[in-house]
Amino acid sequence: MTDLLSWFSSPARRRPMLRALVAAQVLYVLGVAGAGYATTALGQKVMLATTPIDPRDLLYGDFVRLHYAISETPLSRWQGPAAPQRRQAVFVLLATGSDSLSTAVGVYPQAPKPGVGQAVLRGWVTDVYRSSFNLRFNLERYYVPEGSGLRLEKAGRLHPLRVRVSIAPWGQARITGVEAELK
Amino acid sequence: MSRKFLDTESPGWVTDGLISEAQRQQLLARYPQQAPALGLLPILGSVLVGLSGLSVVAANWQGLPTALRLALLLGSLVGSYGAGAYFLRRGNPDLGHGLIGLGLLLFGASIILTSQLFQLVGYDASGLLAWVVAGVGLSYVYGSRLLVLLTVLIGAAVQTYCVESLGIFSYVTAWLVVGGMGYYWWRRPDVVGSYVLAAGLLWQAGLLIIVLHAKITWFFVPAMAIYAAGDWQPNRLGGRALQVPPLVAAYLFMFGLAVFGEADAYANVLRPPLLPYLGALAAVLALSVAGKRARGSLATLPEWLLLLPGFYLSGGLSLAVATLVVLYAHAGSVLARANRDHDPDQLTIGAVLFVAATAVAYFKLTWGFMDKSLFFLIGGILLLALSWYLRRRNAQVLAAAPAVAQQAGTPPIPANDSEAAEPIHNL
Repeated sequence: MTDLLSWFSSPARRRPMLRALVAAQVLYVLGVAGAGYATTALGQKVMLATTPIDPRDLLYGDFVRLHYAISETPLSRWQGPAAPQRRQAVFVLLATGSDSLSTAVGVYPQAPKPGVGQAVLRGWVTDVYRSSFNLRFNLERYYVPEGSGLRLEKAGRLHPLRVRVSIAPWGQARITGVEAELK
Repeated sequence: MSRKFLDTESPGWVTDGLISEAQRQQLLARYPQQAPALGLLPILGSVLVGLSGLSVVAANWQGLPTALRLALLLGSLVGSYGAGAYFLRRGNPDLGHGLIGLGLLLFGASIILTSQLFQLVGYDASGLLAWVVAGVGLSYVYGSRLLVLLTVLIGAAVQTYCVESLGIFSYVTAWLVVGGMGYYWWRRPDVVGSYVLAAGLLWQAGLLIIVLHAKITWFFVPAMAIYAAGDWQPNRLGGRALQVPPLVAAYLFMFGLAVFGEADAYANVLRPPLLPYLGALAAVLALSVAGKRARGSLATLPEWLLLLPGFYLSGGLSLAVATLVVLYAHAGSVLARANRDHDPDQLTIGAVLFVAATAVAYFKLTWGFMDKSLFFLIGGILLLALSWYLRRRNAQVLAAAPAVAQQAGTPPIPANDSEAAEPIHNL
């Protein structure tokens, strides 16, 4: 068949084609859901601390806005040859401390090899200042089930929150839980 | 011609002896009364019911169990495709394609909402790439203009997300749109689809320039590659339609250079390395010329005047004058071509371009030293004289070629290689 387009759009093929396309789309969405479960099951778990932020800013409709302690990093942790640029994708090497909270050891332009007890979280540079730079992880929104956002909001005003994050080996990440720090 | 027009006007035609009463009846029979739009009411009703359902779901979304949320998403996805296929079989292509388009949008929404459901983040475009693939697939299977438009828009949206949120340019997405929808356009060049495709591709090209931190003038290399593709298209109307967005972009740039180019502050952002830039542009020009020669449309070659890289001149008067000369030369070439082809639409566009160039030239060159009242007086007289002259020219052309002008009023005949025989309706 010379013309790809008439091959695809021939009326005889239309019905099976649509079925195949719809089935593929359904499977794909189920695959996304599966990736969610798999990230929790197989991913490396880290615990990140948030910093308290303007409480008016915290609860945005259905989600809580999270501001991570590792989002603000001094430039001395930057491990690249050239200065970081806005929008640049980076890799944050995390090490777990004695309080089970993970902190940033270094920020790399290329993926570093994590040692024992270390994990790598990907992020993006949002702003570069004279002595520090800010990062974004696309994990800044936590969609809370109806009604439970208020509890977190109150907790977040006073104390940092603890955010549990699972990092899958294939490079996805998800928040598996947010809790108030126990004091 | 609308039936209402026929109803009201045709008795007059009989009275004037243009047609007989029997012919009038034949005409009326030929254009039967449209069925009353009662079919619209059930559609409207179901849209309202659907919206109420949607608002209930949206309000309780966070409270619903995960499995139910997934089932709702997938159910509406499958339902929308199923209903679309059903209405297509029933012979209602508009509604059918609309519902299939809705299914495609629901697919994207399902990907996004499912990721959100699991608080899942990804670090490349692969999550949304499937959306573009599905759009290309559906466009090929159904060949509907709506699906083509949606797919180009989805490609642009996914690319925007990649650039804005992930800081990367998804070459796969770009190639899916260029290859998938480009091939579609090559086989079925539809005018509206061509405009949208060209605009979507320009958008992608612009995003690529942003990500690469390149000088913005590099934008015109991919833009003119799109233009060159239009030169090769055997269907003249589809090819011309694809060329309009890149030409508009090039014209606006040249116009902006003429208006603001004096300050050298801009010039530095505009100047890419001379040899690579000119080499790339010359390669695209060669491609374009070859296409024009192959399709017999070399008359449109002066459009490339707009791509003259005047920004390499140092800012100031030299740049202003150079760009004005280019604008005049371009407008003149459009007018000359319109005169030769006896194309009134083209003549109007040429006249507008000419007036615009004159206005810029006048403002640029005389604002500084002329008394302001004199400035506006002379400017006004200049414009009035120009419009009078161009109008007269237009009327002469129309009178000289009634047959051609009449042809221009009839619906265009697609797939015609010979340019002189067919007026071009675009810039």
